[in-house]
Amino acid sequence: MAKISKEQKKETIIQTSLQLFSKNGFYNTTIPDIAKKVGMSVGNFYNYFKSKEILAKELILYISEYLGKNIESINQEKGSTKEKIGKIVSMYFGMAQEHPEMIEYFLRIYLSNREVFGEECQGMVCVSSFVTELMLFFEEGVKCGDLRDQDFFSAFGLFMGYLGGMVFLYGEKILPDELESYQASITENIYNALKA
Amino acid sequence: MITKQIIEKIEGEAEVFFEEQNNKVSFATISFGHMRDFSKILQEKPALDALVLTPRICGICGHSHLYATVKALENAYKNAGVNVELSEKSFQIRETTLMLEIIQNHIKWIYLTAIPKIETLLKKHSQTKLKGLYSSTLINKIIALLSGQYPHNSYMLPGGITSDFTYIDITKAIGFLDELSIFLEKEFFGVDLENFLSFQSCKDFNTIKSEVASFENSLIDLQMQTKGFGYDRFLTLGDHSFTKQAKIKKTLLQKADIKYLSTSPAYSPHQTTFAYNALYKDEFIEVGPLARAMSNNIPLIKNIHRRYKDSTYARSIARIYEIAFLIQKIRKTILHVDVTQPSFIELPNIKKISAKGVGVVEAPRGSLIHTVSIEKGIIKEYEIITPTQFNLASGTKEKPSIAQNAMKGLNKEEAVFAFRTFDVCSVCTTH
Amino acid sequence: MPSKLKLLWLQGITCNGNAHSFLNHPRLASLLKHFELLYHPLLPSSYSLEKIVTDFPAADILIFEGAYSSEFTRADVKLQTIITNLQQKSSYIIAAGTCAAYGGIMQLSDPKSSGIIYTKQKELLNLIDKEKLISIPGCPIHPEWLGYVLEMIIHNKKIPLDNELRPSELFAPLTHHGCDRNEYFEWKVDAKQFGEKEGCLYYEQGCRGVMTHSSCNKILWNEVSSKTKAGTPCFGCTESDFPRSNMFHTKTNMSIPEDVPLGVGKKTYLTIAGIAKTFHIKRLEGKLIDYKTDNRKD
Repeated sequence: MAKISKEQKKETIIQTSLQLFSKNGFYNTTIPDIAKKVGMSVGNFYNYFKSKEILAKELILYISEYLGKNIESINQEKGSTKEKIGKIVSMYFGMAQEHPEMIEYFLRIYLSNREVFGEECQGMVCVSSFVTELMLFFEEGVKCGDLRDQDFFSAFGLFMGYLGGMVFLYGEKILPDELESYQASITENIYNALKA
Repeated sequence: MITKQIIEKIEGEAEVFFEEQNNKVSFATISFGHMRDFSKILQEKPALDALVLTPRICGICGHSHLYATVKALENAYKNAGVNVELSEKSFQIRETTLMLEIIQNHIKWIYLTAIPKIETLLKKHSQTKLKGLYSSTLINKIIALLSGQYPHNSYMLPGGITSDFTYIDITKAIGFLDELSIFLEKEFFGVDLENFLSFQSCKDFNTIKSEVASFENSLIDLQMQTKGFGYDRFLTLGDHSFTKQAKIKKTLLQKADIKYLSTSPAYSPHQTTFAYNALYKDEFIEVGPLARAMSNNIPLIKNIHRRYKDSTYARSIARIYEIAFLIQKIRKTILHVDVTQPSFIELPNIKKISAKGVGVVEAPRGSLIHTVSIEKGIIKEYEIITPTQFNLASGTKEKPSIAQNAMKGLNKEEAVFAFRTFDVCSVCTTH
Repeated sequence: MPSKLKLLWLQGITCNGNAHSFLNHPRLASLLKHFELLYHPLLPSSYSLEKIVTDFPAADILIFEGAYSSEFTRADVKLQTIITNLQQKSSYIIAAGTCAAYGGIMQLSDPKSSGIIYTKQKELLNLIDKEKLISIPGCPIHPEWLGYVLEMIIHNKKIPLDNELRPSELFAPLTHHGCDRNEYFEWKVDAKQFGEKEGCLYYEQGCRGVMTHSSCNKILWNEVSSKTKAGTPCFGCTESDFPRSNMFHTKTNMSIPEDVPLGVGKKTYLTIAGIAKTFHIKRLEGKLIDYKTDNRKD
């Protein structure tokens, strides 16, 4: 059997934690629960993540980097700003369908249960990679004349609030149709709101 | 016969075309052959950029341009219906740095132009004393303490000034001012400033031995009190603590108004000139230290004027007097500054302003006027009238300017000296 | 006493600011003792301007101030003629000030003009033998920077020059080095308005300090101050793109500064800035000096 690297082990812990938090809730899931599911001792688990608080922070950093990397590659592609908005929406919705545990963690635990993170995630420290990529995306849009120059947070709030809201409704099973069927109209709305 | 004379070291050059009869100048025209056209440079520029650009009209009086620009912009705000409030502190400091620029200018004129040139005229060995520049350097230091640097700072903005200095800077400034006074009293005036300022007549110069006394003596030796007359009418358009806004005819003060200003192309039949004459009520009129002294009723200057009118002698002494006069004004002003007052009171974004504005300032050589027209914060028109345009205008034989009149009847060398006593700024004339 | 070096100060399209700035050198008299001034626009000199443009005397050091246009004349002789004749006889040719280096503000008066070394786009003019050139931009030139170059020449020292022919020792630092608002830059505490000693002027007030090569905050102006020490943003006056547009305002795109510190990647800058802005440091957000409280009262 091939030796599993530390990185792979860490990745497994992360995925498993997210699944369990999604299924049973953050407070109901304990470290022993996760360790058991992964197949390691609790003592060994603490070699990877020293506390539940630190695990909580690492998870958000992980998600933020994942989102950030996806936005970065969309940024670097050719295409109009509108097309890129469409791709970001698709990516986000795709993530909501294929990795619901990640989006759920972000919306239901990071945004709604800040006490979980204690001192660790002040302000935007833990979502910095994701926010930075979005900043660069908006900046490029303004520079090339597609988007209206405005305050960053006004645009950010519109974009992410909208997407987060849609995914939330999807999670509550309120949306009649599949998420991706809303992609075109949502892209249209966002573009119309932000365009120059 | 017409001879051309290039006059250099006047912040650039000028060409004077002399007509002579019996070795005396019968008529002369003045030409300024270089122009950069700042009016064109400033067109379509964002309004605040003028605060960076106009000081670069000139390296010795650029600070006056800065002040005129900020006043013109604040006037535009006012005409657009915005209330412009300046703290007492920002007003005091702006006036202070303006006065300091005037003094350093005069000192440079004395040591780099007046003394060397008069010694040449008297066939004496001329040796420029660089110690004079020690004092102008000291003055520029004081300006820098309050505004960041000299030359070419842009510390004035509509609403106030950028510098938020402490009493450390204020006391240092006063300290340097004291050093300056001590130096000038010892090296230049030969008597303490208060004493000099209370001179009643030119006879008082006989009581001192100094650079100033020497220079005054040389002027008399060359009979400059009987030479270099203008039309005995003066103009001070700037409104400051050190001058009254007035038109002065002989000794009578009248109200002055910028609406009577006009410009016309200078008369220079022998060579292209880019200069424009500045006139008041369609007449040539003198601006500068002598005009300011006349508006202030200074006893010494009044006495000199009674005897020697607006001669080269009077003009020169007035400039020297202004050095001492302004040092004392500056001292009084700085001592009263309250650093806890705000330096800057924010105005609405200039992009919202569409209006015209005028800024008038007394620059080292006289009244300086900036007129700006802004549309949504962009400059559409920018006109400048500089003091040298008044004094060194070039008119026809029938209507010569102040300087042209001053040169009449003198031999060529004396005429050039008389020309220089107007303290010419070539780069400003054509800007 | 070794024989004096011959110095010739020639002007193109200028405001004379560089000549006047140099007069503020703290040791002007002793420095000038090393030179014979063949020509200077303010100080007395051996030649008149008219004689310079007819005799073209040999000068060891030729200092040029102002923008260059081949057609511009001094004493009725074209600059191109004057420079062509003078430069071959000089060992050092110094571009004094931004106009002489790149065209600067005076270039705006004539689109065909440029510096004597570079155009505004930093293309070499090839007007003068590159081996002889030294560029000292600044608007105006800082007297001590010119003094440094002259003193290096007097003492026969080779001056290290960078890729824009500027003395590296003067132009490797940035205006940012030594600015007394550094702490505010570090913690991303932006100035709320002009006229206050608190806050960094980079984010909103247009300060180019982090992107401009100069020694302005290391070798102070008039030995006492600098633009940023007086609350004025650095306008980047030593650089080829001076004057820029909207110089009292920082250009942002969706709140993101268009230009970030020299050599720092945008992503790097935004990451650090984003994190720093997250923290609120009380000491840095209030007034530095409390003038109101009388601590002598109980």
